[in-house]
Amino acid sequence: MILRRARYELAARAGGPFLAALDDWRRRHRRRSARESPFAPPLESLRALKALMTTHYLSGRYADGAVPVAWVTSGFPVEPLRTLGFHTVYPENHGAMCGVQRIVPALSDAIEAEGYSRDLCSYVRADLGSLVTGRSPAGRLPRPDLLACCTNICQTVLYWYRDLARRFGVPLVLVDTPFVYGEATPHQLRYVEDQLEEAIAVAERVARRRLDRAALRETARLARDGSRLWGECLATAKARPAPWTGVDGFFHLAPIVALRGTEACNAYYRLLLDELRDRVARGVGGLRGEERHRLVWDNLPIWYATREIATLLASRGFNFVCTTYTNAWAEAAARIDPDDPVRSSADCYTHVLLNRDLPSKLALVAGLAREYGADGAVLHSDRSCKPYSIGQVDLKARLAGDLGIRTLLLEADHGDPRAWASELAANRLGAFMESFG
Amino acid sequence: MSAVAIGVDVGSTTCKVVAIDAAGAIVARRLEPAEPRIERQVERLVGEVRSAAGRDLPVAATGYGRKRVPGARALTEITCHARGAFARTGRPGLLVDMGGQDTKAIRIGPAGEVVDFAMNDKCAAGTGRFLEVILGRLRVSLEGVAGLAAGAARAVPVSSTCTVFAESEVISLVAGDEPLDGIVKGLHAALASRVAALARGAAGADEVLMSGGVALNGAMVAALRDALGRPVRVVPEPQLVGALGAALSVAPAR
Amino acid sequence: MTREPYIRRQRTEHGRRAVAVLPVHYPKELLTALDLLAVEVWGPPGAPRGDAAGRIQTYVCAVVRNALAFLASGGADCVDAVLFPHTCDSIQQLATLAPDFGGWGKPALTFLHPKGPGRPGVRRFLSEELRGLAAKLEAVAGRPLEPERLAAAIRLHREIDLHRAALLDGRAALPLDDPGLYALLRRGEWLWPEDHLAELRAARARLGTGGPPGRVPILVTGYVPEPIATLETLNGAGAFVAADDYAAIGRRVVRGGDGPIADPWEALLDRDAAAPPCPTRATDQAARMRHLEALAARSGARGVVVHVVKFCEPELFDVPAIRRTFAARGLPILVLEGELERQLSGQTVTRIEAFAELLGAAGGAA
Repeated sequence: MILRRARYELAARAGGPFLAALDDWRRRHRRRSARESPFAPPLESLRALKALMTTHYLSGRYADGAVPVAWVTSGFPVEPLRTLGFHTVYPENHGAMCGVQRIVPALSDAIEAEGYSRDLCSYVRADLGSLVTGRSPAGRLPRPDLLACCTNICQTVLYWYRDLARRFGVPLVLVDTPFVYGEATPHQLRYVEDQLEEAIAVAERVARRRLDRAALRETARLARDGSRLWGECLATAKARPAPWTGVDGFFHLAPIVALRGTEACNAYYRLLLDELRDRVARGVGGLRGEERHRLVWDNLPIWYATREIATLLASRGFNFVCTTYTNAWAEAAARIDPDDPVRSSADCYTHVLLNRDLPSKLALVAGLAREYGADGAVLHSDRSCKPYSIGQVDLKARLAGDLGIRTLLLEADHGDPRAWASELAANRLGAFMESFG
Repeated sequence: MSAVAIGVDVGSTTCKVVAIDAAGAIVARRLEPAEPRIERQVERLVGEVRSAAGRDLPVAATGYGRKRVPGARALTEITCHARGAFARTGRPGLLVDMGGQDTKAIRIGPAGEVVDFAMNDKCAAGTGRFLEVILGRLRVSLEGVAGLAAGAARAVPVSSTCTVFAESEVISLVAGDEPLDGIVKGLHAALASRVAALARGAAGADEVLMSGGVALNGAMVAALRDALGRPVRVVPEPQLVGALGAALSVAPAR
Repeated sequence: MTREPYIRRQRTEHGRRAVAVLPVHYPKELLTALDLLAVEVWGPPGAPRGDAAGRIQTYVCAVVRNALAFLASGGADCVDAVLFPHTCDSIQQLATLAPDFGGWGKPALTFLHPKGPGRPGVRRFLSEELRGLAAKLEAVAGRPLEPERLAAAIRLHREIDLHRAALLDGRAALPLDDPGLYALLRRGEWLWPEDHLAELRAARARLGTGGPPGRVPILVTGYVPEPIATLETLNGAGAFVAADDYAAIGRRVVRGGDGPIADPWEALLDRDAAAPPCPTRATDQAARMRHLEALAARSGARGVVVHVVKFCEPELFDVPAIRRTFAARGLPILVLEGELERQLSGQTVTRIEAFAELLGAAGGAA
């Protein structure tokens, strides 16, 4: 046990092979000569990001038996688990890596053979397929001692995590967040709060220690500050030209998803923020050439084609300056109260974008477009994410009709490239760009 | 030996009629591209086989037009292919039937009965008709396809499995100067992986049987062998297996 | 009488207002107690009316796309409100899409039933949701909810469930084909409960006077028996539904619970807790498998048909477990994914008939 713990700590401090997804991204980036690339040179912070995330995944390999391990949905209120010393694994994050590496079809085939439908979310198929085949871009994920699932992003995670619980035979804590039409009622928030307390009790049993409530307040403070810092990083793209692209944000998002509530996460975003602000001060943009048009991206990234799409657009002077997806992790800052961490996180995690009605979403997209000075939007209609995608047809009509924002609905799947045809998409994006004149 | 029963297989692309003798051997066979007026075509072909036999015989029909054959007992292709293949090989196991519109994986039990089956979903990628169209666009003949794919240095990955997407993907690969043999190999590999998914739960290393018109495409047989990791044996006269099975089900008991 | 004239007559003759209800689970007792006619919207099947279905992507299930088209084209104009239960992500989104972005201008109510029943806090939450919904329904009905009437409504629905259970359990001795049986049971989706009860009583009197058309008993689990041609084909091929686990039918028949009603709210919660397992409520999957095994055993089913609507996540997630469960018992299984079309594709007909042949219904063994 002590030896295992030492190995985990060592891995957590030493560095190691580069994170697969980021590596891939870099490779694709380098494939073009600097002169050919439509993007500005990569951010210096990228190196620190790699080190941070590599360390996280590497330490994960030695987490089994050293520290308690929790597999967690991206929207789960993770602060109590963090405080209890859990090593957290985000299967969605792992699914994104599988998407970037285009291995989802192979993983999906394995799970379809067990009777899982191809119409299920590709994150689920990637994750379960990875378990069945043993293939993973992260080498291997540590076995969970606890599964923590919050339905504020979708109901899918509920079925997914129940499946994991059966496979691993470990406790599952569920936080069922009532969908918010208008505002959540007090009894709905109390229900979430009750479930959080119940989740804490289960997590305490698994971790074999009591939750230190003072330490939880500190974690909540770190999470709030991290979220705030992330928001400030994103907000630098309000400058013209934006110092980076929204696509950069998809990758720099990793710490706030996977390491939220840690000092390492916040330290990273301070570094990134400094660099972005420096770029703004020097007038350096995310695009190499002129930033002619500024776009909003809605929904999850199309992980396997993100670079392809961004490059196509960037080569004609179009930049994604903000995305509803990356923005979702900046929203928490306003609602977390470190002095009342459980109640405030019930409020915060219930009111996330994906758990709110469509007028809230329209207001968000319209607000982002206004604040970031965007004149266009690409709505990724994601076969694998119904809660994020239903309503986009009307959203498009309203953005275009009422607000004069040129909007493209682009159908794909965030992880499975089999529903994607590059040429058709390039045609659609090309026609979209031509419509700007 | 004289004929004792007639089997009709009215498929989406071809129409097959066979007559069998008391030992279950095919003694007469007709195979034509399917005509829009199924009834008339079936009547003519059955008439030809029947007049060769010189007497009235019991008729069973299978295939998607099975209910449009008057006086015939209708049975599904699944049951008939299983019976036909079992009669030809005498063994249980996994049978893959790839026809014009459907692909089926059928598990045959020790008595030749169907234990389980799976069919492709609505999307037509992975079926004979789709292969025909796309190989036609690539100007690759059925006779030449096996050699072409076998000679490819590597399979060019084709990821789309939707018919429309796969077609556009293949065309863009050609435009992108990928080698034709590699594209053809990749295409067959992609379709074979779909078929292999249908054959789920059929564990084991035994030989897999294959029937249906696509079994005549050697590249598909090879791709299926690679995808399943098991030897694939084509049932003799693979296009007639369904009609044979139909005839067997109305043949007088021996 | 068909739905629309019936709804109008309920209004003119009994002064009853009507509430359209999306699938699956909702406290119908509250509506009955308030003299509100519940009219369920399962799609409806067939090509969507009007063009509003295009406002929802084609990778979303037909139930939700058709429902939007139905509402937006005025199909439910004769009702006074729509109730959206918290069934799945798609219905959850429809509950904001239709009222907020167009398609439904009258009151839109939601019922956020909790996921994962039996957990701490769930009962209290459900109790408060029920009371919140009751308040909104009172506004629609224009009258207050009286506890005695709620108790009476619970008793009425208990009795309906008793008859439905008797018909389903005694299915093998009921001289109706499957389309006939389901036409009867599904009239409960829009008839005033007392009218439905009368029809159920009449059907129950026929128990023991004959049997279904097929010889081979089958367990069917899935969402809704649509298109009904599925079951016509099954009957034609010599098999019949001997055990039902449709979300629309069997999963809403609550068995037991005939004790006195001291507190109607508590009785309502007890009924919810006693409902059969259903993935849309995220009940324990292992419990659901035990339930299905018991249904199969009791009915002597020789095969299992899983009949789901394409893209329906709650149903699809349980399919691997259903496969495992019945593979272990040696029962063949057929998975059908439909889209509420009116006609079956030739391929689906072939699947159903081949399955019946496999079970020895028509073709017999080789």
